[in-house]
Amino acid sequence: MGQTLTLSNVGVALQRGGRQVPVVENISLSLAAGETLAIVGESGSGKTTTALAIPGLLPEGATVSGQILLQGQDLRRLAQRALRKLCGARIGMVFQDPLAALNPTMRVGAQITEAIRLHLGLSRRAAWARAVELLNEVGIEGAAARAADYPHMFSGGMRQRVMIAAALACDPILLIADEPTSGLDADLKEQIFTLLARLRADRRLAVLLISHDMSLVARHADRASVFYAGRCVETGPAASMLRSPRHRYTCALLRAAPRLGGGVPAAIRGAMPEPEAFAASCRFAPRCDHAQAECVATAPALTAAPDDEGHIAACFYPATTPVAGMHVPSAAAPSPALSGESLRVEGLTVRYRRGYRSGTARVAVQDVSFQMAPGECLGVVGASGSGKTSLAHAIVHMVPYEGRVLFRGEPLSTLRGAALRRMQLVFQNPAASLDPIQTAGAAIEEALELGGLRDRRQRRARATALLEQVGLANSLLDRLPGTLSGGQAQRVAIARALAAEPALLVLDEPTASLDVSTAAGLLTLLRDLAVRLGVGYIVITHDVAVASVLAHRVAVMQNGRLVEIRNNVPS
Amino acid sequence: MGRVAEAIATLFFLVTLTFLLAHAVPDGPAYAILGLKISPERLNALNTQFGLDAPLWRQYATWLWHLLHGNLGFSYLQTRPVAAVIGAYAGRTVVLYTVATALAAVAAIGFGWLHGVFYRSWPGRVCSGIELFLYAMPGFFIATVLGMVFGSWLHVLPACGMADLHQAAPGLADRMAHMVLPASSMALFVTPWLARIFAQGVHEEFSRDYVRTARARGVGFGSILLRHVTPNAIRPMVTMLGLSLPAIFSGNVVVESVFDYPGIGWLLWRSAVAHDYPVLVGIVLVLGVATMLGNLAADLVNAWLDPRVTYAE
Amino acid sequence: MLNKLATGAAPLVLLFLFCLLGPAIWPTDPAALNVGAPLAAPSLSYPLGTDALGRDELARLIHGGRETLSVAVPATLLAFTLGTGYGLIAGFASGILARLLMRLLDALLALPSLVVLLCGAALLPLNRVTVGGLIGVTAWFALARVVRTEIMSLRERDFAQAARQLGAGPLHMARRHLLPNIARLLTVNATFLLGDSVLALSALSFLGLGVPPPAASWGSMLQSGIGLMDLGAWWLILPPGFLIAGSLFAAASAGRMFLSEASNQQTKVFWFFSSEKNSLPSS
Repeated sequence: MGQTLTLSNVGVALQRGGRQVPVVENISLSLAAGETLAIVGESGSGKTTTALAIPGLLPEGATVSGQILLQGQDLRRLAQRALRKLCGARIGMVFQDPLAALNPTMRVGAQITEAIRLHLGLSRRAAWARAVELLNEVGIEGAAARAADYPHMFSGGMRQRVMIAAALACDPILLIADEPTSGLDADLKEQIFTLLARLRADRRLAVLLISHDMSLVARHADRASVFYAGRCVETGPAASMLRSPRHRYTCALLRAAPRLGGGVPAAIRGAMPEPEAFAASCRFAPRCDHAQAECVATAPALTAAPDDEGHIAACFYPATTPVAGMHVPSAAAPSPALSGESLRVEGLTVRYRRGYRSGTARVAVQDVSFQMAPGECLGVVGASGSGKTSLAHAIVHMVPYEGRVLFRGEPLSTLRGAALRRMQLVFQNPAASLDPIQTAGAAIEEALELGGLRDRRQRRARATALLEQVGLANSLLDRLPGTLSGGQAQRVAIARALAAEPALLVLDEPTASLDVSTAAGLLTLLRDLAVRLGVGYIVITHDVAVASVLAHRVAVMQNGRLVEIRNNVPS
Repeated sequence: MGRVAEAIATLFFLVTLTFLLAHAVPDGPAYAILGLKISPERLNALNTQFGLDAPLWRQYATWLWHLLHGNLGFSYLQTRPVAAVIGAYAGRTVVLYTVATALAAVAAIGFGWLHGVFYRSWPGRVCSGIELFLYAMPGFFIATVLGMVFGSWLHVLPACGMADLHQAAPGLADRMAHMVLPASSMALFVTPWLARIFAQGVHEEFSRDYVRTARARGVGFGSILLRHVTPNAIRPMVTMLGLSLPAIFSGNVVVESVFDYPGIGWLLWRSAVAHDYPVLVGIVLVLGVATMLGNLAADLVNAWLDPRVTYAE
Repeated sequence: MLNKLATGAAPLVLLFLFCLLGPAIWPTDPAALNVGAPLAAPSLSYPLGTDALGRDELARLIHGGRETLSVAVPATLLAFTLGTGYGLIAGFASGILARLLMRLLDALLALPSLVVLLCGAALLPLNRVTVGGLIGVTAWFALARVVRTEIMSLRERDFAQAARQLGAGPLHMARRHLLPNIARLLTVNATFLLGDSVLALSALSFLGLGVPPPAASWGSMLQSGIGLMDLGAWWLILPPGFLIAGSLFAAASAGRMFLSEASNQQTKVFWFFSSEKNSLPSS
């Protein structure tokens, strides 16, 4: 049977700082009609670059080598114009963040008809009718009326459906979906994937799915390829490969992903190399626990695994046991005698005034009550818009609220200075929570100074100790936030919060902006700190798995209300 | 509602400021009218005549009261009500302003396309250089050089007035010929920063995700530029056009002065030289209101261009 | 980086050198009349020709530059102080005071600067101090708005919230976070303001409302040149014009240099235009 898409030995070099840097090399994949192939990897692995190389959408100055065949036709041999016509009609692209990927000043109907009129040559009216039909097909209610709406008038999930409708405009044979559900809630993720599965079956589409979420891939893709540092390290049937991976990176990645009842995720040490520093040998070797001399010397070839058909991995010392249950057992799980009371929240309500001098208010949090013991970790989970961030901001007194919040027995509104410092918020976006012109050391020292530590030398010493505590080298003391990675910045922010010797740390989506392996390291650190320092946490997150790693109890928010508090099941 | 209230508050400040401006001088407006060589008797006489010996707050109240009835005062120089004087000159400025701004907008879009598309390569750099060069040229210098070259040396265009005074009934063609130099001077003065803003917009919009989406659909470069990028990139330029009404007017003053084009700018200049302060105050008020209307118009145009913007509040 | 700094600041440095060291290099008396050579075209003895009274144009340009800078520099300092001060107060204020300050600023910004200048010049006795003061007092509105907007946005940023939670008071915030973060913005605007002041003074002088004779700034020299335009004395028009343009260019170039220099922070877009033209809508 003919393959819809075949890549053989594809490499991509991008223009970086005036020279060509190879970011992807030696990629060979194939995809048949009606099949879903997922490319899995962390950011910087080259998965998006590979996807964009297929229809020739790479930025200027990029060079592509190898062969890209769409139904046997080599796309690389086509002239620019012909490529545009062919790909516009036969390949549908769905990008992440549909709000940015749709033109804000164009009606969605017009954006769908654009390709139809261009490639199918339909009249304006016929194209519009077809657009409405497509919107219907992807499940948009009242499609005829909504085609005339602008992208911002749709909700996140609906916007992605519009994107999909636009991608299907010319009946493509291949659909490339780049992180189509990032930023969406779990429910919406499932809905979008259900829709994609239905369309694939109805239209015999070949779907190339780019994702970093392995659990989604395991459930929704037929086959998966794991990318690391510009190479494909492992390919195989999605479900079984992700159950018993061969490549050590895949194993490590799976163990790093937090999962329900899975204990503490295991961090991968180090970081993925930048393209400039790509080695010729196995690129995962410096981070691998199983690496031998051979791994640092030469690159392993993709070889077939004995067990499974079509399962290949590029590893000299592949894993042989399934990865499930390979999470570090949660022996270190903190279970202090939770007695006494650190925080009591009674009838907390947060309202935001709607606009300027208008009477109506939006209720973000409604009548929430709970209490926490010293050293307890409470996870607060909920979809976006459920009020969990407003709750966090109210607890640290960043927004006005109604109701009562008692921190260590005192009403929050009467607390001043030192007493208030015992509660700290760690922000969602670590880079923004650091002053861009203040070095990491200065930020921590400032926190100490505000705590009354006058002596300069003592401050320096304490700052170094704090950095060490969060697992950072003291060479970072003099670095500006702009030069820190996301994980490093988040650790500096935590160190700064710890400088205030808090009794309670409110963590707002602590891992949302981080990659899987970095996030795992951070979660391990937080778990560790809780045990060592006896500090309590409120962990605000949309990811139940993250909460389950840290929390003793998990509170569920929905539409501004706290609907449930349950004990976290120990693993 | 909020916006209207804000505009009224701003207007109130503006009115008060202009009043204080006129009365901030030592010895008050009388001194400004009569100049340095003034005898105390004449000063007193004049102060009584114009009610300038009353307490300041009372003068202010009277002035406000008159203002509310559309009475802007009386021109010392032209011995006509200020409103009539301004009315006589304003129309010509509006015409000049409209022609110049339209010219500038068209030039800026063309220039901005070139600059924005080739933002980082040499055509863009050349455009940037030209913009910087034109920007650094003060409006009065541009006008002077244009007048010198086309008026005095080449004698191809009239560089003075708004019509040929030797003709009994100057026709439309003559008026248009007189408009060329003032309008292009102003346009040259306005174009570089509009072009710059538009070019920046074009450059930024080209890197947005929706452009990649359009490319993925197979839309060609021309269509992307015209249908996708330009409508999005033009908004900051429109905002700027509304906001820089005062700045453009500053250029208008010098251009009208250089070419003796009898508009508001010219009137302002002559009134300033002749110390005709009621006219000055009247012009300031009219311009203030015009600026606010200009901002409002820019907002409205933007709301029309960008479906995301609503002014419900 | 140092290289870039030098290139950006070079025009401004050259301009100042021209004005400060000019008399030492070209010691001709700008007021010396030479009745024998009125309106002489440029030659070896008069590199830029002479004016209608036979005065050496180059010497007059050098002294005109000193005249221009002696008014524009103090005016810049005044405008910078007023703009920064007002911006800081308006940025820190809250409630009704903040609104009042903002409305007042809006009213000031609604007036074309040249109009205010002309009105002021019509009402004041003209000399160096009043003209400089007038320019200073009318040039700061846009800067005040930029500073205010920046302070307001910095105050709401996450890092400011974090500092507040650690117990930082308003003074600490201003000294340690807000002022250091707008320092570069202020430097850039100071150079732009210098350009604005030169332009304002030149425009006023050009319209006959600058510092009265015998002082002659570039603006008034340009104006007197125009009167002789029909005699073809281009050397009385182009040099002062280009020097005014050159100082605007120099200020813009130095400002741009401060913008591009150093760290990756402050992604805010400010480009080569002066602060008035750059007055973008607040918030």
